[in-house]
Amino acid sequence: MEFLDALVTSWPTLLKGLRVTLLLTFLTLFFSVILAAIIVALKMSKVRAFSAFATVYLAVVRGVPLIALLFVIYFGIVSIVKVDAFTAATIGLSVHSSAYVAEIFRSGINSVHSGQVEASRSLGMSRAATMIRVVAPQALRVVIPALVNQAIISLKDSAVASFITVDELFMSAQRLSAATFQPLTYYAIVSLYYLAVVGVMTYLSGRVERYFKKRG
Amino acid sequence: MTSPSTPKTPSVPTGQPRVSIKGASKSFGDSVVLNGIDLDVEVGEVAVLIGPSGAGKSTLLRCINGLERLTAGSVEIDGVRLQYREAALNRMREHVGMVFQSFNLFPHLTAIENVMMAQMSVSKRSSADARERASALLARVGLEDKTESYPSALSGGQQQRVAIARALAMSPKLMLFDEPTSALDPELVGEVLQVMRELADDGMTMVVVTHEMRFARQVADRVILLADGGIVEEGAPEKVLDNPESDRAKAFLRQIESGG
Ligand SMILES: Nc1ncnc2c1ncn2[C@@H]1O[C@H](COP(=O)(O)OP(=O)(O)OP(=O)(O)O)[C@@H](O)[C@H]1O
Ligand SMILES: [Mg+2]
Repeated sequence: MEFLDALVTSWPTLLKGLRVTLLLTFLTLFFSVILAAIIVALKMSKVRAFSAFATVYLAVVRGVPLIALLFVIYFGIVSIVKVDAFTAATIGLSVHSSAYVAEIFRSGINSVHSGQVEASRSLGMSRAATMIRVVAPQALRVVIPALVNQAIISLKDSAVASFITVDELFMSAQRLSAATFQPLTYYAIVSLYYLAVVGVMTYLSGRVERYFKKRG
Repeated sequence: MTSPSTPKTPSVPTGQPRVSIKGASKSFGDSVVLNGIDLDVEVGEVAVLIGPSGAGKSTLLRCINGLERLTAGSVEIDGVRLQYREAALNRMREHVGMVFQSFNLFPHLTAIENVMMAQMSVSKRSSADARERASALLARVGLEDKTESYPSALSGGQQQRVAIARALAMSPKLMLFDEPTSALDPELVGEVLQVMRELADDGMTMVVVTHEMRFARQVADRVILLADGGIVEEGAPEKVLDNPESDRAKAFLRQIESGG
């Protein structure tokens, strides 16, 4: 009963936090997809310097813990230009996620049969047009489950933003637990929130996959 | 067979071959696949390439449109030497159609969209123009009722006919076919060969790799037997297929007669 009371009374506070978390997750997904597309393009470039840069970027981002990356960006950027914690968190999470999205994109591209590229190039289509019109649309279908999975990871990773004072979902639970001395209750409740959002995302990805399957 | 766009050739100085291959060699690492091939294909000629597996037939075809890069020698199309810079390659390929053994239709597009794609992307035609031309070409290959089907809903023979229409949409002056019927069930081979036969009758210049000896006899102006990276025999179909001179050719022909 106490738990249910807590669940109901914490609702307004946690809802505010949830909004921030969802926005953070959405922006992370958006920017990491753009960053990843750029990194993959650089990685596949014939210009040695570009592909080398992409290789180093991927190695560094994957080799550094998210929280360290976040702190470096937060304290690093703040020392140069004034940005708020939310912006810093968006940048940090996007950079972190972009390395994994880039790998997902690359495996998607590799899954497209080489005959597709040959057919397209044989028609006189450029490398870029072939990528955009032939390879990417086919890769996208393969990649959607992995992309949703990465979005789920980003959602959960976003809790780390509380370390640099972003007032998101996890931070809200932290404050409730500190005020009431009931950590178990509020951390359990906030876990349910995350679980619910993941459930919705999984459901939606199933719908998207089925849509593409129907189109053959 | 009439419109659309009977692929009549633009004015080319008479006597100049459509394709001129000189001293073409190709190696993959240490293995030499083509070893100094010389071959001219005249405007309007149908050249059929035959030969044992691994002879380099596909490689030769792919060297003509630059999918493979020659190690030595040169390829000229209408007197223009093949260059491997992207822009030059794209320009050349606009006029050289290729049909693959495994069709390679774009699975995410309908039949008509497959035929429209390069028209819009490369030739910058409007969607309406591209659609009109695509539907005429699909009718020409006998698929007017399949325009909105996805490749997965088509038989192999139908897919290959869409692939031919897709190549024809660019008004090629040369068509390359790499075993276009080898992946097909026997009962579907005829419909594809029929389309190719009509194309040949229309005056298309064609280089065809095939094991269909009846097609070679009936349609080819010249049969070229490739083995061990070189041309071992070439000439009129009757000559090459019935009265080969070299032992290598005799052995190959005995083998396909007994084995199919
Ligand atoms: N990309 C490649 N890398 C390495 N070796 C290759 C490559 N492509 C072809 N080869 C080799 O070159 C040789 C000739 O191959 P090719 O495909 O041209 O033969 P083919 O005459 O078309 O044979 P088939 O009748 O089996 O299609 C083969 O030994 C093949 O293994
Ligand atoms: Mg072959």
